[in-house]
Amino acid sequence: MASLILSPAEQDFIIRGVESGLRADGRGSLDRREVSLRTGMISQANGSARCRIGNLGVGTDVLVGVKAEVNTWAPGEPEDVGSVVCNVECSPSAAQEFEGRGAEEINVELTQLLDRIFNGPQSGIDLKKLCIIPKQAYWVLHIDALVLDVKGNIVDTLVWATRAALLSTSLPRVVVETIADEMGNMQAEFDVVDDPEDLTPLEGTERLPISVTFSQIGKRYVVDASEQEEAVAQARITVAVSPAMEICAIQKGGILRGFPPSLLSEILQTAQRIAREELTRFGTHYSQAERQLASQAEEPNTGSTFLVTF
Amino acid sequence: MEIDEQPQRMDVAARIVTPGTAITSDTAFMRGHGTFAEHDTIYSSVAGVVERINKLVSVRPLKQRYSGEIGDIIVGRITEVASKRWRVDVNSRQDGVLLLSSINLPGGIQRRKSESDELQMRSFFAEGDLVFAEVQSYFADGALSLHTRSIQYGKLRNGTLVTAFPQLVPRSRSHFHILPCGVDVVLGVNGYIWVSKHVPASTVEANAELIYSDKNESISDDEREVIARVANCIQLLNRLYVKITDTSIIFAYEASLAHAAKDLLTRDVATELAHNVMTRLEQQQA
Repeated sequence: MASLILSPAEQDFIIRGVESGLRADGRGSLDRREVSLRTGMISQANGSARCRIGNLGVGTDVLVGVKAEVNTWAPGEPEDVGSVVCNVECSPSAAQEFEGRGAEEINVELTQLLDRIFNGPQSGIDLKKLCIIPKQAYWVLHIDALVLDVKGNIVDTLVWATRAALLSTSLPRVVVETIADEMGNMQAEFDVVDDPEDLTPLEGTERLPISVTFSQIGKRYVVDASEQEEAVAQARITVAVSPAMEICAIQKGGILRGFPPSLLSEILQTAQRIAREELTRFGTHYSQAERQLASQAEEPNTGSTFLVTF
Repeated sequence: MEIDEQPQRMDVAARIVTPGTAITSDTAFMRGHGTFAEHDTIYSSVAGVVERINKLVSVRPLKQRYSGEIGDIIVGRITEVASKRWRVDVNSRQDGVLLLSSINLPGGIQRRKSESDELQMRSFFAEGDLVFAEVQSYFADGALSLHTRSIQYGKLRNGTLVTAFPQLVPRSRSHFHILPCGVDVVLGVNGYIWVSKHVPASTVEANAELIYSDKNESISDDEREVIARVANCIQLLNRLYVKITDTSIIFAYEASLAHAAKDLLTRDVATELAHNVMTRLEQQQA
């Protein structure tokens, strides 16, 4: 995605390295970089998370906030479900090509990708539970993502951050009463409880998918491409896999070339295997993030603090 | 006027300051780079170390753009092919300039520049190419003028680029190092560092026609692993703010052999290795 220009010699070095299974930073084709994950940093949002994928404190950095709003039902909309609205924005400070209107295309592409993964039953979120009163009111979850820095693999960072934000999302409790109106008809009314302690977590988040992005370089592919590798990659395919090991979404990006079909079936198989590992890794990082949030008063150790904290 | 006599003066000895820190209120001092004055007090405007030379107080910033000096050995990336010159990204405030008259033409150093050379400039350097050059002079607007008029300079091949902070690459006698592990390292003073497979000098001289070739030599898996390891060592030295010299790279490489190349960039291993290197450097100086 980033338009880094490399010399033909550098490109050849990367391509041959990938074809031999040895990337420029010593990783194997399927090895992923370190992840830093934090949740709960946006206090006004119902859920928030920030994820950075990269080495030594420098990497692709995405901040996601989830805000829940009550919407009034309009005729024509589905009657008994809530909805999810995604929006991704790449900050102009993330990369030079995002200045001015440079980020428009990629914003649209990433928004559609997030939508494909998280908007709908394939995401696992129980949309029926988001309905407050059928044909009257429902919750809308606004998922807003901001890409703060780009060092390769925006997609997986984005999905990790969104997943963490949704897992940490909690909605205010809603009290629904049915009252008789003047003509004796039963009307339902709802009231959102305004207590910051009285919250219910979002339901269905244990089924949220995680994504694995493959970049085709030469005749082979790599997972979690660095900036330089993305500059050489011909095509990119993102596979979202649920904890039940079902493929929830697939999106191909990259305008240079298509994918050979034989590589595609290999990629789908590999995606499931990697997703399993990633879900475990995610779980570890998420629990750590929750623990750090709970114990807010942490003494920063000045050893290499800047490598750790955001 | 003795410094110690005035009681209300702040200590201006070397110390680390952040933007807005008051350095001194003594009007005897003149303020230099990295400071500003409000009423009678001199404040720091950057994050860095206070330096005092006689009556001049200045702050040397921790992070600074590379500003070239004549004789600097640098690595640059061609950004534009213009009329009889190339524009080169040298990690500075301005792009540097490489004139057509400042490069070696294939066929021998003494070959005269012809009109056809000007028309096929991209056969020498095209956009994106990495060039190993020396700063020859400045243009009137402060842009650096580069030259590659020596056999060791020219187009870079067979390796990978690592970007570091310019202030971590000290100026020294030689910037091209052949490491004992079989890897060549070019330490550009501008922070661009090229790590590549070792190619014997005899091969380079024998093929004077191929100095602008884009073709890499064949690189074996073992050589690739060593290149990755050295590149990672330089990255971790950079992130943990250790000076990058051939000595520190060799120390880091030796300490890194206990770990897999890909693990060198994890926080714990990187911190441990950097401390290791710093200890050895201190011991060596002592």
